[in-house]
Amino acid sequence: MDILVQTLADGLVIGAFYSLIALGYTMVFGIIKLLNFAHGDLYMLGAFVGYTLLSVLGGDSSGGGLMGILIVLLLTMVIVGVIGMGIERVAYRPLLLAPRLSILITAIGVSLFLENGSMIVWGAQYQVYPLQLSHDGISLLGAKITYVQIGLVFISALLMLGLHLFINRSLYGKAMRAIALDQTACHLMGIHVHKVIGLTFFIGASLAAGAGTMAGAYYGTVNFMMGFVIGLKAFTAAVLGGIGSIPGAMLGGLLLGMMETAGTFIFGGSWKDVVAFSLLIMILVLKPTGIMGEKVTERM
Amino acid sequence: MTPLLTIRGIHSFYGKIEALKGIDLQVHEGEIVALLGSNGAGKSTTLKTISGIVRPSSGDVLLHGQSLVGWAPHQIVEAGIIHVPEGRRIFAGLTVRENLELGGFTQRKEKAAIAEGIEQAFALFPRLKERSEQMGGTLSGGEQQMLAICRGLMARPKLLMLDEPSMGLAPIIVVEIMNIIREINRQGTTILLIEQNAKAALKLAHRGYVMETGRIVMENKADVLRADDTIVKAYLGA
Repeated sequence: MDILVQTLADGLVIGAFYSLIALGYTMVFGIIKLLNFAHGDLYMLGAFVGYTLLSVLGGDSSGGGLMGILIVLLLTMVIVGVIGMGIERVAYRPLLLAPRLSILITAIGVSLFLENGSMIVWGAQYQVYPLQLSHDGISLLGAKITYVQIGLVFISALLMLGLHLFINRSLYGKAMRAIALDQTACHLMGIHVHKVIGLTFFIGASLAAGAGTMAGAYYGTVNFMMGFVIGLKAFTAAVLGGIGSIPGAMLGGLLLGMMETAGTFIFGGSWKDVVAFSLLIMILVLKPTGIMGEKVTERM
Repeated sequence: MTPLLTIRGIHSFYGKIEALKGIDLQVHEGEIVALLGSNGAGKSTTLKTISGIVRPSSGDVLLHGQSLVGWAPHQIVEAGIIHVPEGRRIFAGLTVRENLELGGFTQRKEKAAIAEGIEQAFALFPRLKERSEQMGGTLSGGEQQMLAICRGLMARPKLLMLDEPSMGLAPIIVVEIMNIIREINRQGTTILLIEQNAKAALKLAHRGYVMETGRIVMENKADVLRADDTIVKAYLGA
């Protein structure tokens, strides 16, 4: 029992990170049908921007307290969000009318650029996060859950709730969903489509960056390649939930995180990625539309 | 008086195909103008050129004497021209209310105007009110057309362009739609109407243009066009 609860709790934290990244994947795919393979690197960028901000602002002492951490988190999200918007403007927008393959290859190029650029700026070695989080926690049914874990899941849930409200209640959120359905009709409604696409990239990038900063603080070290595998995992989560579906990305991320943690416990740590990607293959074979995805006919 | 809309010598291409070969057209304030012609005559391309979806290779589109060529579609909507496209293209996965709200996107600074616009739409088509929380895709064809027209009106256009509002609808619904178009015009919106159903359109319109293979071949008062059987038979097939 204690092991089960522990696995679920640990999986929930990782799953929350997957969900936050998967949301950006799924939103961008929904709106311009691009699998943005540079998305995982925005998570990495978030971790590093947070690292730099904490080093500069907080110093190495205490990390500036809880408020300080939250301010750094928000600042990071805004900075990386703007970078995400810039990437869309520079790399993707000129190719929106080109064949999908061109823009997909561009995304891989952007990914390489971000990874190697970060290596030049922050170095190739692992960097220790300038933040010591407490290991205190509570005992629940024999499992130990730290306050940090609770906090991370809480912040992630808050971000996802905010996104959910934005998408469903605000006019810009509705415009996002409308663009995913029919871009030409949106032009004819007077919707500034490019602006809304830019906003989508901003939100996607800032959610990934938020996950990056939190993951940096949680794991304690960051590296310029840390976005690669987790990007693929988030993609898996998005496919699991049904790509294009926002609740699907949230659910897919949490499920993947928990299944992966359970798999690690059963098969051993070196099998972690095998579990996740076997799952991807299984979904693609058995239910390609994912849990909440709708079947759509492809139009090019 | 300057016409509301003036089109001068428009040429538009789809790739290498010249879809419009020099179109001249005017719409005056308060009018209903019908744009008629068979399939492939270039009617829809004319509307798309006006709304900025298709860029003309030469010629000019003027609203109140101001050129709109090179403007982005959303700027043209802000200037006061709404294009309700062929096939309605309502957002099937959004509710009726959300469709209407998005129609008012250019009015977003004034929340009251959007709420008022939605009330007006519901007054015009009470059936939309009953279905306001239903997905757009679940509506019947006629209801979807009503929604598309109302969604267009939400932007408070000076000029409403309707591309085949009667397409695929039962005759009784067509009559209803035509009556509503007349009513909208009476309330002060100028209308440019494309129709396959020439007789119905000419009954409604003040003036008409007949298009054939990218050119305007005839222009006259609607009753003159309607009275001339040869025109109706030769160009409009009904």
